[in-house]
Amino acid sequence: MRNPYEVLGIREGASVDEIKRAYKELVKKYHPDQYRNNPLSELAEEKLKEINQAYDYLMKQYEKSGSQYRNQSSSYGSNSGYGNDTSLYSQIRMNIMNGNIQAAETLLNRVTMKDAEWHYLRGLIFMRKGWYNEAVNSINTAVNMDPSNMEYRDALNRIAYANNRYQAYGYDRRYSAGGPDLCTMCQCLICSDCCCECMGGDLINCI
Amino acid sequence: MFGYILPDKGEMKIKEYELFRAYYCGVCKSMGKSFGPLCRFALNYDSVFLGMLLSSINKESVSLKKEPCIANPLKRKWVVKNSNSVDFSADINIILTYYKFKDDWTDEKSYLAKLGQIVISPGYKRALNCSKEAESHIKKSLEKLHALESQRCSSMDIAADPFGELIKGIISIGCNWDNDKKKEAVEWLGYNIGKWIYIIDAFDDIEKDIEKNSYNPLLLQYMYKDEEVNEFKNRIRDEVRFNLIHTLAQAASAFELLDMNNKSIIENILYLGMDKKTKSVLEGRSCNKDEKSL
Repeated sequence: MRNPYEVLGIREGASVDEIKRAYKELVKKYHPDQYRNNPLSELAEEKLKEINQAYDYLMKQYEKSGSQYRNQSSSYGSNSGYGNDTSLYSQIRMNIMNGNIQAAETLLNRVTMKDAEWHYLRGLIFMRKGWYNEAVNSINTAVNMDPSNMEYRDALNRIAYANNRYQAYGYDRRYSAGGPDLCTMCQCLICSDCCCECMGGDLINCI
Repeated sequence: MFGYILPDKGEMKIKEYELFRAYYCGVCKSMGKSFGPLCRFALNYDSVFLGMLLSSINKESVSLKKEPCIANPLKRKWVVKNSNSVDFSADINIILTYYKFKDDWTDEKSYLAKLGQIVISPGYKRALNCSKEAESHIKKSLEKLHALESQRCSSMDIAADPFGELIKGIISIGCNWDNDKKKEAVEWLGYNIGKWIYIIDAFDDIEKDIEKNSYNPLLLQYMYKDEEVNEFKNRIRDEVRFNLIHTLAQAASAFELLDMNNKSIIENILYLGMDKKTKSVLEGRSCNKDEKSL
């Protein structure tokens, strides 16, 4: 096992709070929802497992047993509650889940009735190939054909959510989100200069 | 490649910036050493990124040395030495530049391109010997790309696919594999970066391609019809942005699964630099002036 502190990205001897915070962040980052329709989902699962192990180990070290997060994580199974699929569709779904994109595509081309489910599955295949524009268009078609289906809507929302998350992460990472910009600094300097001149001094002698 | 992959310099720590610059100089010097000083003009940021990414994934222990440079003989700068990844990236850069000149010559009959091709061809032959596998992969991908262009493919996803595969293949060839799972993540990272480069370049070239009546998948996909260029751009901007950002989000999801050196610099590039570039190209503020000199 790798050093659990390293896995969680914290210094050795971090406090329980720090461990929890780091753990929470990482679980969010590698949550299966983030990697749904992504060819790397298995890898993310492994990573999550490693994080869970590290967390469990550290928590045991701190003699605290049973964490709310772990219970949560154990319930991240694959929830397969598909309703009235024809057998061909469920075969295609199986193939997509197992990463046999080519097989899924061949099967999909055999279907003659292009209903909402067909477009949805086509969208999932496009997602796996990294063809996001085609994917969104296909899933959109599926949503329009069957507006009541929450699974289709969910898939669209997840794609949009990934974008928001990416940008939010970048935003958080910036160093000075709230610092003064150049304009404000100039204003301050000029104001200070005025004040100094009022009192007979001078801060910037050319103004 | 095109030079779209840059760090957001203002958000870097000084040590990160200096290391990035050392890689920059490393790729440049490697090109000069292997292919002659003229080839160094072909240097661009994408190949610096490629060199650094590979070197970080391979966890190379590179050495840094202070050396003078032709561009600035008085100031000695840090240079990355003894890195196979950097040398590999220099080879790739030469091969890609050679093909770019070749295309420009066949497409536009630009004499400058022919001249470039002649200057670079001894370097190209040498690079070919070092990385045969990479060269044949590049050649194959570019053939697919050109085939789609001549079919006037009207889907950005399909048109960008060969370029995604090109970058994916290059990165995959440049990595030392110890673990198949990691390979998947690295390849997904490469594919998405390649796709991003292709699409952002297509958007950046809209004006030029309208003028010259050249192929551009965006013009076909969104059915450009003699409208004002800016109107057309306004019409498609949101959708293109959505795709570009999603491509980056996917690349980032792959990056998060990798264990490598220099994580903070690569993170800066993926989350900040490329996001910033996406914005500046889409808003039409692709101002090269403050980016060229590092």
